[in-house]
Amino acid sequence: MKEMLRTLARRSFATSRVRNLIAVLAIALTAVLFTSVTTIGLGFMESLTLTMQIQKGSSSDGDFRNMTAEQFEALQQADFVDQAGLRMPVGFLSNTNRHNIEFDVVDQTQADLTFCSPSHGEMPEAANEIVTSDRALIDLGAELKIGAEVTIEFTAHGQEYSLPMVVSGWYEATNEQTSMMIAGTAFLDEYPAIFEYTYDKDAEIAGTYWSDFTATSTVGLQEKMQDFSRDVGGNPEDVAASNYLPAVINTMTNPTADPSLIFMAVVFIVLFIFCGYLLIYNVFDIAVMQEIRRYGLYRTIGMSKRQVKKLINRQALWLSCIGIPIGLIIGFFIGKAALPKVMTFLAVSYTNIVSEVSPSPLIFLGATVLSALTVFLSTRKPVRVAANISPIEAFRYVESNTGKRTSKKSSLGASIPRLAWSNLGRNGRRTFFIMVSLMLCIVLLNCIGTAANSMDIEKEVALMIRSDFAVVNADSTNGQKGFSLREQALSQQTVEDIAAQPGVIDGSLVYKNTLEDTNVTFDWGAEFIEIEQSPNSGLMEGMTANYLFYNLGDDGNPICNVYGMEETAIARMVIEDGETDAHTLYEKMQNGEGVLLGVQVDYQTMQIDKSSDFDFLNVGDVITVYKNGEPVMELPILAKAARNGDDAEIGITANGPLTVGGDGLFLYLPTSIYKELYDEPVAYKYAFNVEESQRESMTAFLNDYMKNVDTSINYLSADSARENAEGTRTMIKFVGGLVGIIFGIAGVLNLINMVITTILTRRHEFATMQSIGMTNRQLTKMMIFEGTYYAAGACLFGLVLATILNLTLVKSIVGSIWYFTFRFTLLPALIVSVVLLVVGAIVPVLALKFFNKGSIVEQLRIAE
Amino acid sequence: MDIVTIHNLKKNFGKGFRLVKALDGIDLSIEKGKFTVIIGASGSGKTTLMNMIGGLYEPTEGTVIVDGINLAELTEEQLTVFRRRKVGFVFQDYNLVPELTIKENILFPLSLDDSRPDEVFFSEIVDLLGLNEKLDAYPYMLSGGGQQCTAIARALITKPAIILADEPTGSFDVKTSQNVAGLLKMTTETFHQTLIMITHNLELAQLADCVVRLQDGRIVE
Ligand SMILES: Nc1ncnc2c1ncn2[C@@H]1O[C@H](COP(=O)(O)OP(=O)(O)OP(=O)(O)O)[C@@H](O)[C@H]1O
Ligand SMILES: [Mg+2]
Repeated sequence: MKEMLRTLARRSFATSRVRNLIAVLAIALTAVLFTSVTTIGLGFMESLTLTMQIQKGSSSDGDFRNMTAEQFEALQQADFVDQAGLRMPVGFLSNTNRHNIEFDVVDQTQADLTFCSPSHGEMPEAANEIVTSDRALIDLGAELKIGAEVTIEFTAHGQEYSLPMVVSGWYEATNEQTSMMIAGTAFLDEYPAIFEYTYDKDAEIAGTYWSDFTATSTVGLQEKMQDFSRDVGGNPEDVAASNYLPAVINTMTNPTADPSLIFMAVVFIVLFIFCGYLLIYNVFDIAVMQEIRRYGLYRTIGMSKRQVKKLINRQALWLSCIGIPIGLIIGFFIGKAALPKVMTFLAVSYTNIVSEVSPSPLIFLGATVLSALTVFLSTRKPVRVAANISPIEAFRYVESNTGKRTSKKSSLGASIPRLAWSNLGRNGRRTFFIMVSLMLCIVLLNCIGTAANSMDIEKEVALMIRSDFAVVNADSTNGQKGFSLREQALSQQTVEDIAAQPGVIDGSLVYKNTLEDTNVTFDWGAEFIEIEQSPNSGLMEGMTANYLFYNLGDDGNPICNVYGMEETAIARMVIEDGETDAHTLYEKMQNGEGVLLGVQVDYQTMQIDKSSDFDFLNVGDVITVYKNGEPVMELPILAKAARNGDDAEIGITANGPLTVGGDGLFLYLPTSIYKELYDEPVAYKYAFNVEESQRESMTAFLNDYMKNVDTSINYLSADSARENAEGTRTMIKFVGGLVGIIFGIAGVLNLINMVITTILTRRHEFATMQSIGMTNRQLTKMMIFEGTYYAAGACLFGLVLATILNLTLVKSIVGSIWYFTFRFTLLPALIVSVVLLVVGAIVPVLALKFFNKGSIVEQLRIAE
Repeated sequence: MDIVTIHNLKKNFGKGFRLVKALDGIDLSIEKGKFTVIIGASGSGKTTLMNMIGGLYEPTEGTVIVDGINLAELTEEQLTVFRRRKVGFVFQDYNLVPELTIKENILFPLSLDDSRPDEVFFSEIVDLLGLNEKLDAYPYMLSGGGQQCTAIARALITKPAIILADEPTGSFDVKTSQNVAGLLKMTTETFHQTLIMITHNLELAQLADCVVRLQDGRIVE
């Protein structure tokens, strides 16, 4: 006869429609929270892995290089290998412009693992067929179509090749800077000379076998790989060894968990469990209170506590079965929609961000478990209350009321606001929960608003670029290259063409020394404890006791990073120490009286980073300039400037200066002195402002010029940097806003639930009042007052708490991130407060309309 | 044989100046199969006494023994089972479960105990109380008298040791009162059960084998 209990549960379930609706909403909302956060979380990880794999160019578990044919064969047989791809590198093409193209022979497995199998057309079959990216084809000046002809040039084993090839397929480029061009094994058979193995003699890559592979298990993979390398006679460590056989695990595929991400996830989950608790607890608490007599009866006629618990738990289970799936679906789509916004957060560190999330069972499983846990936690107390109700007491039960209630009787004829006031807080815990959720909504939204408002976009932009536009050689914007050679200079013609555009003002060419300028060196007394050849530049490299590395010129002194520029460009820099007036400084420098030293900026303060190891020279220190081994100038440091990305190279890339000067000093000179010093001065950058009205047309001009006239250039504009920075702000607003709004919805749902219950449980009271002459309008008015009191209370506390949190927590968090400048605001809280007050007033009106129908007599009877 | 033995029973509610001595030293024995009526003024302690017999209140002092069981020795769970098996309650306001049909309401206490109904016994009760036609109806479809008959059937179905009826006819007119009380007496007699009934109606008290009069928590007669 267990069915009776089930029947009873089912029928009471069917009759409590309002409660069910609200409970399902509450549970669904909770599930939405969890699903969206797990979707975003897992999607974030999935996307990050994929982004990094694409960036690295491989989704393998690891790779081996420089193998012989026999070693490769052994690898294919190795038991830790699941699938091993074949890659026989030939080398980089030499007839490219702004794009790097590596030409290799690869098989299907390798192509799949390294994101270069054709999305259009077929894998290369014939010896003259190739597949490469759209970007590579454009760069090579070939047509973007299957069957297009393209000439490739490269050098292997000292022999130059120029071969006509045919495009058998292509794929969308995944990397702005580098693409793979692949040929099939037929190419290998056609040109055996290219693939002669000579690595052990001359370290020639062409002829070696490389392989990206997937492992059967990633446990202890690194060791297994190293062991393999040694077993087949390779050396996995020593770069210089003739049998160097690197075995590198793919850290993108096998990342280590980021503790701060895990911490964030835990914070969100706890926050959401709390939010769900606030909601679901109230729903069940109210439901139980309404039916307290019934549970008393059950207990009187012999229902055990366990049976009462079962009865309610079963209904909670059913409600969850409806609510959770609804929440899962909605939550997944919200999460999916939000993911790209979250991913833009990474835009600073990564290019070509993919945002992808598959509806993995893990998401739904995780969200279901968390939602179910929340339902379980929040129904514990109400269930216990119902089970523990002492049988007879339940019959006598009246909503516990405080002493306030007496004032209600005396004020029947008195003012309605006072009447409403006396009804507040009939149930302390419930009132508290409503207030808390509404308050959290206000506080969270205000914190987010403050954070978004405090984002200092101009500061972020200022670190990237100082002028409206900066045109550079494309290599300067290439994270792997950078400006280091004279051939990368801007052409005279290009600069003239740009300068001739309308609206160009404050233009300045920026000259920079290159790796070829080894005859000009600087001495400030640096001492080196070790001197070796640098693998980056090929120059000799000196290391100081502080582990600073300097590239050394012909005479053994550092060559440094030296810039020559016009006064307008110097004036844009942040000069802090010494002669801070740009005009005076420039004149002095022009007279050969000294030099401007650039020191790393502190992102927080945007001033010179005094704590950095690079700030060891003072104003007045003298630097001796040597040319061809002879001292030619004595330049005292006249001033120091806080050097941002733009002062080093452009944006946040600084590969060029690193290659040329190493950690060498950054020295800024007037154009005239610079030209005196260097025999072949070249400009890598043209920085200029443009009148507001002409900026758009300048952007259009540059885009067109870059595409059609001088394909070797690239540019950065303040506007595009600003747009980038805005992306982060949008993300903060979006994610934070979402969380705040969710709490708002929770609060409003709670309020609705409260008002409806009040109306239902007090129908009799209302009817009594109406029977003694209270009009419907007065009743409505009373309820409006009640609703507004809740909202007003929450708003008041919320505003106070928001202010406090703003000035403490938000201020300190925001203060610790460099692109934020704390700006106090209460505007979001005020806006939310107004909305909540309106909602607090509207909800009772609607609830009365729907739930307080029928005549007074009917009402009196229902309540009996 | 006495089915209920009460010795020096006291029950206080509240504390300090709010202290109410609802029962103030009750000694009472009720014989098995007899019909006992409890009368007394409002607030004299009738309901309290009945609830003590039903195991709903813990005594402040004294003992209650029902069917050989000393209620003071039972745990809460055991008391629940005691109520389920040994006591049948009939209330003034019927207290039927609105979601269950008449038949389900009657069988409800059995289902809580996971026991099968005795089909013969069930139809006997239903016949006696005239509920045959209404078994599939819901409580709200029945008259007050009909609903109270259902409550009586529910109290009887577990073959309890005692039936406790707290003003079962309180909300009926004179004629219905007579009918319901008559049915109650008749069925309990038929099944040899002990009935304890509270009433304000002295006419009904005439039907009893024994009348207990309460005044300020004490038996006065
Ligand atoms: N649970 C309780 N808590 C506090 N006081 C109680 C409780 N139950 C009963 N009382 C008090 O004990 C006294 C006896 O109450 P009881 O309900 O037994 O009287 P009664 O004789 O049944 O009255 P009535 O004829 O009105 O039903 C009354 O003063 C009542 O207020
Ligand atoms: Mg009573």
